[in-house]
Amino acid sequence: MIVYENISKIYLGSAPALENINLEIREGEFVSAVGQSGAGKSTLLKMLYAEEAPSTGNIYFHRKNIVNLKNKELPYHRRNIGTVFQDYKLLPKKTLFENVAFAMEVGGRTNEEIDEAVPQILDIVGLGKKTDKYPTEVSGGEQQRAALARALVNKPKVLLADEPTGNLDPISTWEIVQLLLKINEFGTTVILATHDKGIVDKICRRVIAMDRGKVIRDEENGRYCI
Amino acid sequence: MFVKLTRTFRAGVQNFIRNGWLSIATVSVIVTAMFIINVQVAVVTANELLLKDVQERVNISVYFKTQTEENRVLEAKREFEVISNVTKVVYISKEQALENFKASTNDNETIRKSIEELGTNPLESVLNVSATDPDEYEAIAGQIDRSSFAEDISKVNYQKYRGIINSLNKEIKSNQRVAILLGLTLSIVAILITFNSIRINMYSHRQEIEIMRLVGASNNYVRLPFIFEGIFYGFAAAGIAVPLAFFYLNFISSGETSNSILPFSNTKFIQTFLNDYFIKNIILIVLAQFFLGIFLGVVSSAIAIRKYLKIR
Repeated sequence: MIVYENISKIYLGSAPALENINLEIREGEFVSAVGQSGAGKSTLLKMLYAEEAPSTGNIYFHRKNIVNLKNKELPYHRRNIGTVFQDYKLLPKKTLFENVAFAMEVGGRTNEEIDEAVPQILDIVGLGKKTDKYPTEVSGGEQQRAALARALVNKPKVLLADEPTGNLDPISTWEIVQLLLKINEFGTTVILATHDKGIVDKICRRVIAMDRGKVIRDEENGRYCI
Repeated sequence: MFVKLTRTFRAGVQNFIRNGWLSIATVSVIVTAMFIINVQVAVVTANELLLKDVQERVNISVYFKTQTEENRVLEAKREFEVISNVTKVVYISKEQALENFKASTNDNETIRKSIEELGTNPLESVLNVSATDPDEYEAIAGQIDRSSFAEDISKVNYQKYRGIINSLNKEIKSNQRVAILLGLTLSIVAILITFNSIRINMYSHRQEIEIMRLVGASNNYVRLPFIFEGIFYGFAAAGIAVPLAFFYLNFISSGETSNSILPFSNTKFIQTFLNDYFIKNIILIVLAQFFLGIFLGVVSSAIAIRKYLKIR
């Protein structure tokens, strides 16, 4: 489903951020990319939603090379990919409902569709009773769950989670991980980038270990050890 | 499509309203630009009307000696009418000329008496020759001088308005240059200010824009609110500038205020302009103004979008 082919990313005057990466991720997989800060996990994810382009190599998404997407094609590609980040990126002046609805509005969905889908997805992430709260009124874990709801509401094929638990306490972290696993069970491919040893070890799924821009290990049911 | 338009339109309205003071400042600058452009257009048009009016009065007056028979003069009229570039020839008989003269002196007692005393009509009959273009008068006058009627003609007069026309022409040209320069400068200022306001709005919406891009909002969906915002600036400005210009022109051209406010222009013709052009073509003018305002706004937002709204 996703193929990284000979990917390198070189910024002028510094060591390569990514060096000759070859990876294949199959539909429905749960993949954790682990490594220290600066290992290249985030860059790898950014390339998938075309926020960054590789210096060399190709990336195929459903057999389509996404490296040289035209500006016009870009939004349609991104609708296939849900993203969550360490800093949630929720709009502070919108309620949780509105934040999730926003993702559907900009996609041109009708109000009827929004009114039906948003409460549903907020229910799934366990925020069914907090739809009218503003992000500042709920906990970090709840904010991240709202962000997850927003990422999922357009039914993406892939969910990218870039350090989603970086700001969370262990219990909230575990809740988020449980959610990610549940989402994966529903059929969505999940790619998780993290440096949290504990969660990777508990997940027991495919682990790609990275260090200084290279893949140093790639194993099914792996554990986190560098 | 419709859903997207209404949503981006609403976002544009919010951008416009939530930035109260910024919007007011922006609209004021566009109003100033459009107002001055309007006044300049009015002044130039009024001057052109004045010129046209003077040009219409200009003609070659051909005076015939008093002893010339009326038939001879009418013969001359027919001949002059076929000279190239002559548009019309008007015959004023001696009697008519006398009537006109009496009327122009308001039937002054002394003048009337002295004419009566004279016993005969001292005035000459006149042919007023008009031409398509003031530049032709010299050639036409020459042709008249060389015609077979030369002996019957006492004098040919065409110089009277020449100086006025020339200086008016110069004034109009320089006025036009000033108008164009001023209009362009102010338009650029208006575009820059609007551009800056939209840029500030983009900055304050950067988070929203980032999320829009992440969740796959189409490029137009991200841009349209800012285009709408630019349109609103121009729209609001046009709505203010048109009546403002009208009342200003009306004010300076009525009553005792004189040329001093608008140098080189005849206030009477500003009134003519207002009555004959402005009011008659009000719909067209208002449309043109809105178009101009919206054009300024759209250009500004397009620049801001190109420069600051990255797609990738």
